Amino acid sequence: MHIEKLQLKNYRNYHKLDISFDDKINVIIGENAQGKTNLMEAIYLLAFTKSHRTPREKELIKWDEEYAKIEGRITKRKQSFPLEIVISSKGKKAKLNRLEQKRLSDYIGALNVVMFAPEDLTLVKGAPQIRRRFIDMELGQIQPRYIYHLGQYQKILKQRNSVLKQLQRRSDQDTTMLQVLTEQLAEHAATLLERRFVFLDLLRKWASPIHYGISRQLESLEIKYSPTIEVSEEANKEKIEDIYCEKFKSIQEKEIERGTTLIGPHRDDLLFYVNHRDVQTYGSQGQQRTAALSVKLAEIELIYSEVGEYPILLLDDVLSELDDFRQSHLLNTIHGKVQTFVSTTSVDGINHETLEKAEIFRVQEGKVEA
Amino acid sequence: MYYPEPISKLIDSFTKLPGIGPKTAVRLAFFVLNMKEDDVLEFANSLVNAKRELTHCSTCGHITDQDPCSICQDTSRDQSIICVVQDPKDVIAMEKMKEFHGKYHVLHGAISPMDGIGPEDINVPDLINRLKDEEVEELILATNPNIEGEATAMYISRLVKPSGIRTTRIAHGLPVGGDLEYADEVTLSKALEGRRDL
Ligand SMILES: Nc1ncnc2c1ncn2[C@@H]1O[C@H](COP(=O)(O)OP(=O)(O)OP(=O)(O)O)[C@@H](O)[C@H]1O
Ligand SMILES: [Mg+2]
Ligand SMILES: [Zn+2]
Repeated sequence: MHIEKLQLKNYRNYHKLDISFDDKINVIIGENAQGKTNLMEAIYLLAFTKSHRTPREKELIKWDEEYAKIEGRITKRKQSFPLEIVISSKGKKAKLNRLEQKRLSDYIGALNVVMFAPEDLTLVKGAPQIRRRFIDMELGQIQPRYIYHLGQYQKILKQRNSVLKQLQRRSDQDTTMLQVLTEQLAEHAATLLERRFVFLDLLRKWASPIHYGISRQLESLEIKYSPTIEVSEEANKEKIEDIYCEKFKSIQEKEIERGTTLIGPHRDDLLFYVNHRDVQTYGSQGQQRTAALSVKLAEIELIYSEVGEYPILLLDDVLSELDDFRQSHLLNTIHGKVQTFVSTTSVDGINHETLEKAEIFRVQEGKVEA
Repeated sequence: MYYPEPISKLIDSFTKLPGIGPKTAVRLAFFVLNMKEDDVLEFANSLVNAKRELTHCSTCGHITDQDPCSICQDTSRDQSIICVVQDPKDVIAMEKMKEFHGKYHVLHGAISPMDGIGPEDINVPDLINRLKDEEVEELILATNPNIEGEATAMYISRLVKPSGIRTTRIAHGLPVGGDLEYADEVTLSKALEGRRDL
């Protein structure tokens, strides 16, 4: 799939923009603070309706303006259709093929995007919620139904935590409602976990050989999922649900004492091992970056195998950070099949071959010249 | 800007209605000022009368102008089945269908701990008392098919279980006459969950 056209109105530092892209490689050149990341963010937003760098949507609206509008024309399976996001003080509207989609799970998945930005180093070394967000977003974009289940889970979790708070204050209260919510939570937790296991299995399948290649056959990469219950990744949903129920039973008193839910997918983590050692703890900066890169490249293949088309790849400020070997490896992987956007402050760090094939855009103060 | 007090009060009253924000409230208030006095009086009376003459049935909680309501008084209805719903509007919808001949119990909401709504805040204690006093054999739990409605149904079912009364949950799924391809994914999968043998 690829994005043919992008139109922006009052978005970040863009007053008005209307550009068409090459369906292979687009290089976006500009000095610092001119709008390169903003452009990438706009494409990311069309896919996820959310920014990759801020949860506060108001920041996306150009200063002193009322609303921001992002429109894109996408080609997928030989069909062309528009996507549109409007953000205003009243909230956000997402339209797929001109029809407003109220449920996130009905919108997401129309456009698949994989982004690799300097922040992605934190995927390996940052806090666990970064990795959970990674699983949730990436799984969500190939399986929109997952987003729906996640929303349900989070709602039940809130309800259950309220009940636990009440019981914490007055422990003589009846626990029937807690049992009901525990049962509901266990079921939804099992749904999420089962889907995460399947996703991880695919991710590993792609990531290990990719990492082995990028590291010149020197490193193995393992991805481990660390859940809050003891469970085999082969377990089916019913089995997982049973294990959750058992565990909830055994920790009920502790949960009441703490006034919050102590186990579940919202507390799980991912661990990356290079040559059998935890890269988060022992890895060098370069090893961490390579691990993150392998995972991102794996995603490209994973999306292709699940969706039937390659996603759009956004490389914000990272290409020049990679050494020549890694750059070529990356460019070989995407060669001719993946519409790619590369942003950089200077063409110096970028491989000649790439530049020759690419369509070049120059960004200055929110204006773009092809 | 300061409005004369009578207008401010009216604006304030309008904002208490669902779906009405401050701007709309101002527009409605000024519209009322321009209405004929008779119309305004009739409007005001309808509001007051609807509230005064309608109460909640002390047995089932449905809205009614007589207590107990006509459904509770109707001895020809099946006394052994109670259908539990969240809202009086649900009773009206069921009655339109003319297929259900048992009685009702209106909860006026669903349990939602995070909003501070517990079982005592909806009509659950009355329901339990009814089950003790009346000869009920089956409770149909027809609360909404969302998280809170589902939890409320599960809660009631647990509460009732020791009494031996049968509890059932209505099925959710595709609207009849709707096309499969237009059903959203969530509805579709609910329908799939509730499938049965033929
Ligand atoms: N809501 C907004 N309204 C107007 N301008 C904004 C808004 N949000 C951000 N900006 C401006 O956008 C510019 C940053 O753009 P962007 O992050 O895309 O830079 P960049 O080209 O990627 O730079 P770098 O090379 O440093 O990463 C800044 O000048 C910032 O002030
Ligand atoms: Mg940038
Ligand atoms: Zn009644």
